[in-house]
Amino acid sequence: MTLELFDVNAMIGPLANEPDGIDSARLLRTMDSFGIAEAVVGHLWSVAYDLRTGNHRLLADIAGQPRLRPCWVVLPDTCGELGGTSRFVSEALEAGVVAFRAFPSTHGYRLASADCSDLLGALGEGGLPLLVDMQETSWPEIEAVAHEHAQLQIVACAVGYRALRQIAGVLSRTDNVSVDLSNLSTHLGLEWLAARHGAGRLIFGTGLPHRDPADAVTRLRWSELGADELAAVASSNLRRLLPARRAGRS
Amino acid sequence: MTDLLRDAVLDGAPLRDVSVVDAHAHLGSYGRFFIPDPAEATMVRLMDRCGVSQAVMSSCLAFAHDAKAGNDATAQALEAYPKRFLGYVVVNPHQAIESELSRFSGHPGMVGVKLHPEVHQYPLTGPAYEAVWDHADRTRQPVLIHTSSDSRFNNLEQLARIASEHPAVRLIAGHAGGSRVGFAQAIGVAGQYPNIYLEICGSFATCRWIERMVTALGADRVLYGSDFPFIDLRYSIGRVVFAELELEDRLAVLGGSMRRLLTPASEAGFGELWRAGGCGHN
Repeated sequence: MTLELFDVNAMIGPLANEPDGIDSARLLRTMDSFGIAEAVVGHLWSVAYDLRTGNHRLLADIAGQPRLRPCWVVLPDTCGELGGTSRFVSEALEAGVVAFRAFPSTHGYRLASADCSDLLGALGEGGLPLLVDMQETSWPEIEAVAHEHAQLQIVACAVGYRALRQIAGVLSRTDNVSVDLSNLSTHLGLEWLAARHGAGRLIFGTGLPHRDPADAVTRLRWSELGADELAAVASSNLRRLLPARRAGRS
Repeated sequence: MTDLLRDAVLDGAPLRDVSVVDAHAHLGSYGRFFIPDPAEATMVRLMDRCGVSQAVMSSCLAFAHDAKAGNDATAQALEAYPKRFLGYVVVNPHQAIESELSRFSGHPGMVGVKLHPEVHQYPLTGPAYEAVWDHADRTRQPVLIHTSSDSRFNNLEQLARIASEHPAVRLIAGHAGGSRVGFAQAIGVAGQYPNIYLEICGSFATCRWIERMVTALGADRVLYGSDFPFIDLRYSIGRVVFAELELEDRLAVLGGSMRRLLTPASEAGFGELWRAGGCGHN
């Protein structure tokens, strides 16, 4: 059956532990081979090298590729790296960025902290979702941020197969947290969460290039979800979180 | 270009006319994390959903607490689904290994032995496992071993030492080392010792690592496993289906290679053996 897949969780750039990384052309080829229509994409330079350089490199690398939607990496502006939080968010919106992504552990800060309060408030006001890999933070921090910033939509990525007890608790006490499929790998976890919390809390994501799109694609295609739930998880839940495309922007 | 395996996944249809043998499955609940509905009937339903023919399972109860009670549960599952499940006898070096192995001697569905040195906090190279190597040498049954590159109980160096000391024993490296570092080490030791087979389940394997394993070792040395019902059945199978490998090699990884390791039980099918001669289990 035809199923539109929209990947919330992809990045491009070179990898330090592989001979080759993934550029936008290779990402598109990979997406084609798995039947993925669109992807929200960040740049790996923003993670381990320099946030601003990576974010702008991303815009250049995916320019003219309407299937790739830009996602900027963020961190708290305690050292002035963003050049002002409000200005940074405005710049992102002007550039057509559709989501933000945080790496609290890698970048050495706590998400649920006073350091991040202004940043997360600004992201919520900007109306764009925040993606966070669960190796980078904790479920109590996700819940604290979700409560403090009710406008902010949070997508918890790569949640693993041992976390359902915490996921279920946080989903039951919040309405602005979703979970991606890149490593939602507990036996029947996808169907169980959909039945208990609604398929609207679940979003297709691959985790490229660190994870393999085979995981999430196979998991979803062979799921036991009904057709409406399947379509929601595959793409429409994410579309609901993202801003509409602006006229004239590719 | 059509592809028997990839087209099935992308169509949401089960694999058909393909023999898929899951070399690394489990049975039952596991207290460390919540598993929705790990019942055997549910496992079979998911196997049907994907087109998995058989799964070789070991009991979580057996390695977490009580080998005897857990292995009995495995035997009951094999009795309930003789065409779909095969079993590993789990042995615990702190419990009675030899009696547990002899209890299932001749059982047509118990086709191998499972070791989990990490859980049992006992090194793979320890003397208590000598009975396992003797058993495996005598019966030709494979031994599935949990491996992890960062473990002091079941790392790849320890596996290599056992492979060297027991060249006739067929050793399945469960999780193939479990991480990027472990995958590389596992390929290295399997290249050195032809009695090591790599099983690919876990959180970190990718199509690319499976391609590297098959390229380095040949598809007959690489085995599909899922780890379900820990990890969902539908994760690691996709890594084989979508790997950039010839169809023949992917079919070998999905089932052909394991089937060769499991002779004679899986060739006849446990159900047929069961009906023909009884299980011999006491």
